[in-house]
Amino acid sequence: MTTLQLPYDLLGGVLHWLAAVLVVCAVGLFVGMVVSLLTVGPRGPGLVVDVLQRGLHDMLHMSARRIGAIASLTMKESFRKKAFAVLVVFIILFLMAGFFLRNPERPDDLPAKPYIAFVLMTIRWLTLPVALLLACWGLPTDIKDRSLHTVVTKPVRRSEIMIGRFLGYGAVTTIFLLVMSLIGYVFINRSVPELSQPQLVSRVPVYGSLTYLDRNGEPGEGVNTGDIWTFRSYIEGLTKAAAIWKFDNLDVERLKQHDGLRLENRFEAFRTYKGVIGQPIMFRITLVNPTKKLRVTNGDLVKGVAEFSEERQRSAALEEDPAAESFGGLRTESTISIPRTITYIDVSGDRGGDQAKTVDLFDDLIDGNSLTVEVTCQDRDQYLGTAQSDLFIRLPDRGFASTYFKSIFTMWLMLMLICLLGTTASCFVKGPVATLLTFSLFMLGEHLRPQMDHLLKQFNENDRQVLGGGVLESVYRIVLQMNPSQELPDNPAMTIMQWIDRRVFDMLGIFRNVIPNFEYFNTAAYTANGFDVSWNTALLPAIATALAYLLPCVLLGYFSLQLRELEAK
Amino acid sequence: MSAEAVIQTRNLSKTYRDFWGRPKVRALNSLTLDVNRGEIFGLLGPNGSGKTTTLKLLLGLLFPTEGDVSVLGKPAHDVSKNERIGYLPEESYLYRFLNADETLDFYGKLFDMPSKVRRERRDKLIEMVGLQNARRRQLKEYSKGMTRRIGLAQALINDPELVLLDEPTSGLDPLGTRDMKDLILKLKEQGKTVVMSSHLLADVQDVCDRIAILYAGELKVVGNVADLLQSQDETQILSSQLSPEAVQEVEAVLARHGATVKRVSHPTSTLEDLFLRTVEESKARPGRRFGPGEGPAAKS
Ligand SMILES: Nc1ncnc2c1ncn2[C@@H]1O[C@H](COP(=O)(O)OP(=O)(O)OP(=O)(O)O)[C@@H](O)[C@H]1O
Ligand SMILES: [Mg+2]
Repeated sequence: MTTLQLPYDLLGGVLHWLAAVLVVCAVGLFVGMVVSLLTVGPRGPGLVVDVLQRGLHDMLHMSARRIGAIASLTMKESFRKKAFAVLVVFIILFLMAGFFLRNPERPDDLPAKPYIAFVLMTIRWLTLPVALLLACWGLPTDIKDRSLHTVVTKPVRRSEIMIGRFLGYGAVTTIFLLVMSLIGYVFINRSVPELSQPQLVSRVPVYGSLTYLDRNGEPGEGVNTGDIWTFRSYIEGLTKAAAIWKFDNLDVERLKQHDGLRLENRFEAFRTYKGVIGQPIMFRITLVNPTKKLRVTNGDLVKGVAEFSEERQRSAALEEDPAAESFGGLRTESTISIPRTITYIDVSGDRGGDQAKTVDLFDDLIDGNSLTVEVTCQDRDQYLGTAQSDLFIRLPDRGFASTYFKSIFTMWLMLMLICLLGTTASCFVKGPVATLLTFSLFMLGEHLRPQMDHLLKQFNENDRQVLGGGVLESVYRIVLQMNPSQELPDNPAMTIMQWIDRRVFDMLGIFRNVIPNFEYFNTAAYTANGFDVSWNTALLPAIATALAYLLPCVLLGYFSLQLRELEAK
Repeated sequence: MSAEAVIQTRNLSKTYRDFWGRPKVRALNSLTLDVNRGEIFGLLGPNGSGKTTTLKLLLGLLFPTEGDVSVLGKPAHDVSKNERIGYLPEESYLYRFLNADETLDFYGKLFDMPSKVRRERRDKLIEMVGLQNARRRQLKEYSKGMTRRIGLAQALINDPELVLLDEPTSGLDPLGTRDMKDLILKLKEQGKTVVMSSHLLADVQDVCDRIAILYAGELKVVGNVADLLQSQDETQILSSQLSPEAVQEVEAVLARHGATVKRVSHPTSTLEDLFLRTVEESKARPGRRFGPGEGPAAKS
């Protein structure tokens, strides 16, 4: 089952990090020893130890004043060299944005999402090059102009230079980001049309786990309706098929402060026949308490599916707005309010005939601190598409500012990481190379990592083989026009080829672990869709990823500066 | 001499290499040298003879290819020795977007000085190098000499024990040169050790106690300036109002004693002397012009 909303495994991450750092250090030490032996002979290893000792000493004897001096120098440099010209570009873009975003025929009718997405994307793609170029060109220019010469003849530790530079660029970028994000915030609030203003919210979802009953009421899977995208599973209408969400670890006391509970759905309908025009596919919600053997539902818990995504978003946001009712003439609601006391007809009928009963949502239906919600489709031969994240408890909303600035915060973490990587790279290569290196890391981390993950997953799950083979094998197959399922001839050359391919995959696995996962830093989708950027699934991994690179980068930068003759041109 | 070596180099050699590690230039070859506490030491040599290279090796900016360096009793790569060193680079490699005040403040911070001390030292040094009127201007607007001056102030910000000056007088006007020399002598009075490099012999002759002459990376001569410059078998006679007849008589007397007269001429002051005195005189009496033969120079 696709489970999207997994909380981030911090402990696992930390252990993984420790392992990676230890391995990298060990390899670094080994390489250092070998290189020193080769270059200066038997004196080498002693020198390496000496360098390490000095390194430790330098790390422990840094001065905040010196770091501050270098950081503020860096900031002065950036501002006096007119880096803020970027802000002008930014403002011009925003002045013109109105033209692109507005629909001239129906100027009031545009959801908030494109505005938010536009602003966040613009900020991201304008601050990114600023951070990248500042961080990557600063130190190399300093070395080239030899102004660093004068600095290093003072009692400055190289680690202080590295950290001071990073902090300086970080601060400049932070100022840019702050200014831009404030302008962006005002822009969003002012430009989003009146009608869509309620979409500027921060919904706080609580997700549950999802299981299915098949059409005979047995535990099983949903139906695949032929969609290639297997994200949703479908349940058949008016059978015993059901999708069951179990929301665990609910903070019942907090929920009780609000009367009732809000659920929100993003179900999809799959129609096998056209049905009645204007009449949505209906589903029923049943609240279940397995311990007390309660199954509660009533007419109010039967709702229509919002079949188009825009409609879904609109109806979710406009819950309290009467306009929602009239939208498209459909009686669809994404938000389902469950009152605290529910009257229902008890069909289990211990005492003969059906009778109306009332239960208390929190006292009777919540079992311990978990709630079970069963969803069935109410239209015969139609299907209801469900995924784990399609039904969630919607806690009281937060203001739009909260999700917006959380997104900005993750962007800030990303920029800090870029500054850090850029500064580190510029400690050992020149400006253009450092820029290229950092940007490649960014692109790899943001766009290629998922592909790598996919390949590696296939490789590991598939008995260390990938369909069609690794690098060499696939080239071989392409050249000989063999299709992937054809057997390879059995000879030593092939064995060697496959052996090399497997090593390449192993390397890829190691390599992948070193590339920062930049996807963590892009939380714009949450904000644009009106969701909170949650701590567990979005903020924590971003923070952890950014922090993970701090120490290794500082060490790498320090040793590169230390072991390098700054004279080199 | 109660000589305590502040700088010691032993067989110090430096070969510049290119990116691939192939040797390019042997800039310094087996230099063995001691510089003692409290002396002014001059590194001489034509362009490209390895003076700057030597200073950079002392500072740990370059790593020696062979040999050892010890500065103030510590190896060159030890940054803590820098607490007690002041360095004026060949060209003042400073941050051009800072003004004089900010520059000194920045370097002061690098010595971890508290802000009160920084302010005091800054004001004193700016006054000393004569940049009071330009302290708020960015260094990119400075003339070469002004840049040298701020470079010097920067080198002295920590009140160093050992001062390394790479061509301290280059780019300075004669007045500045004179100031620089006075300053160097003053540093010596304060018990500091100064190492300066130069190819201007006049500068070195005026201030240095000991010199070393490098040529193509090799140490050619090292010793006391006075000893090196004095030639024992020549005598110079200086006199005023000597008539041509008297000169002939003197020549005759000298010939009797078996000495040959190489040259009889009127002593000339150096151009530097002339310029200096002119400037000095002009300061004292502004607006006056000197014709040939009547200016301050003629009076001496
Ligand atoms: N970074 C460098 N890379 C390669 N060769 C260099 C480098 N720096 C200096 N050299 C060479 O080393 C030699 C000595 O240079 P150095 O700068 O020490 O001379 P110098 O005595 O200071 O000369 P000057 O009086 O011109 O300042 C020269 O041949 C020079 O070309
Ligand atoms: Mg030189």
